[in-house]
Amino acid sequence: MSWIKEGELNFLERIAANILKAGPMPKHVAFIMDGNRRFARKKNMDRQEGHTQGFNKLAETLRWCKHLDIQEVTVYAFSIENFKRTKDEVDGLMELARQKFLRLLDEMDNLKKHEVCIRVLGDLNMLPLDLQQIIAKAVVATKHHNKCFLNVCFAYTSRYEITNAVREMAWGVENGLIKASDISELLLSECLYSNNSPNPDLLIRTSGEVRLSDFLLWQTSHSCVVFQAVLWPEYTFWNLCEAIIQYQLNHKSIQKARDLYQEQQEFQQLEADRICVAELHQGNGKPSDSKRQQEALQQYTACRIERVQDFLQELKHKRDLFFTDLSSQVVST
Amino acid sequence: MALLYGLLWRLLLVLVHVNRAFVCWLRARTRCFKGRLWERALASLLLPVAFTDFPVEQKKNHRNPDSKAVDADSPAERQALFLNDGKSLEKLPVHIGLLLVDEEPSYTDVANLVVWCLALGISHVSVYDDNGILQKNNSVLMHEITQLQRHLLGVEGSKVEFLSNGSEKHVVSCRPVVSVLSPEDGKQSIVQAAQQLCRSVENKEKSPKDISVSMLDSLLREFRNIPDPDLVLKLGPVDSTLGFLPWHIRLTEFISLSTHRNVSYEDLLGALHRYGACQQRLGK
Repeated sequence: MSWIKEGELNFLERIAANILKAGPMPKHVAFIMDGNRRFARKKNMDRQEGHTQGFNKLAETLRWCKHLDIQEVTVYAFSIENFKRTKDEVDGLMELARQKFLRLLDEMDNLKKHEVCIRVLGDLNMLPLDLQQIIAKAVVATKHHNKCFLNVCFAYTSRYEITNAVREMAWGVENGLIKASDISELLLSECLYSNNSPNPDLLIRTSGEVRLSDFLLWQTSHSCVVFQAVLWPEYTFWNLCEAIIQYQLNHKSIQKARDLYQEQQEFQQLEADRICVAELHQGNGKPSDSKRQQEALQQYTACRIERVQDFLQELKHKRDLFFTDLSSQVVST
Repeated sequence: MALLYGLLWRLLLVLVHVNRAFVCWLRARTRCFKGRLWERALASLLLPVAFTDFPVEQKKNHRNPDSKAVDADSPAERQALFLNDGKSLEKLPVHIGLLLVDEEPSYTDVANLVVWCLALGISHVSVYDDNGILQKNNSVLMHEITQLQRHLLGVEGSKVEFLSNGSEKHVVSCRPVVSVLSPEDGKQSIVQAAQQLCRSVENKEKSPKDISVSMLDSLLREFRNIPDPDLVLKLGPVDSTLGFLPWHIRLTEFISLSTHRNVSYEDLLGALHRYGACQQRLGK
């Protein structure tokens, strides 16, 4: 089945969509697509079939998001913890992923038409090599599309992602690109797998579980979190509307909290820069007048920003190279 | 046309608020009159549960038969009843987080929740608000908690370790712990750990390849020895974690109460019963 379901909304759905769009709409929605196996048990079908239905539901949800002007969607497809499942189930999921990503490569024209950019986030070197190669081809082929974005978290956990970001910053420090004192929340965010995306506005988890299961823990600290009891393969347009209404009800208070947090961040960064300037001038004796102090601070800040930008460029280059190398390899069988 | 949709949207929000209030009222009523099946049926037929947090039952003058522990006559009796209530739960969290997303914290109500949790046998209770108000007024909260413990459980009631910014960070004893947290204990702690690791790399003591999830985890525990919360009780109308311990909450169950103001012991027990029903598969 296809990644992209064509088709318009029906009359009622269109009315509902227009009403919702009169209010604040999330630009980036993240989904924990939980409940495939319970769905399969409920319908007396094969577990694998449950996962396939789950994938079909994803395609349908993307169509609804497109009609609701939700530009970016992130989904939790496979957690590193899921490797603990039986070999059969893991192999089945890898095979499903293979089929779906190969299908994606076949649908490249359609993806180009809708300008869909596919990104895959996770510790991809945990996956079988051929799957890595197929994924890389899909990512590289859609890299420059910029109308809608689908981020698939595969072989992902948030703790691994945060640790990887710290490792990247350590690599930057080791190579003299940045200093340890340059490390900040903002810099760490820029080193996550999701650095090309804004933080999700809305996080939805289906199947009634009320936990985050190591998904986007850093990025969703100020997101609206909605837990819904429906099983993922049974998700409807109306369930999505319900979650969006929840987002709209929370919008003002969450926005206020976000803005306040942002202000505190900026203040903390300024303080951190001041401390660094003070340390630098310890030997020379502090610049006496406040004008010189201000200049020194501005100069330090500008240098730090430039240093960080250069480091992030290098990091981007390293990551792009990882994907282009993989995608240029012949898929190993 | 846009104007019409705008008006319809405002109407929709009003309807949702009305629905929320009605379902809350209905739920509160069915709690008292458990036989009224028709009311419960009506409540479940109404719009999705997603719109309503579990309502907090306002403190009533009449005695509720479930609140034996709180209303018992002597501290010793109360202590025994609390522990009994704790043992009767399906499972008890080792660490419970009280996440305040209400506007202004009420120290008495927060202290109530903390003391009840400790009395039930929960060994680590943390309280958090995203403005850091509780941390700034840490001493007020500590005072309320100590007073309440003394009143409820007597002077012999279990002594508690208080952890907050600047206070003793390493818990040596096996006494129950109350942590007062703010956003600084969340992302900022992770950043501090990252800086420390990178300074080690700068000094050639470590290599980036050495940095692992367990290393980062251990370092964070060194900064503040907080176990991962098993349960977070979100108190208030905002549906967000608002920066609460992002690293630690990977497997935490979230249960919401509409507010912390005038929260009752029954509300806490209700939430703990719901927590008891949560099943974790841990990826499997």
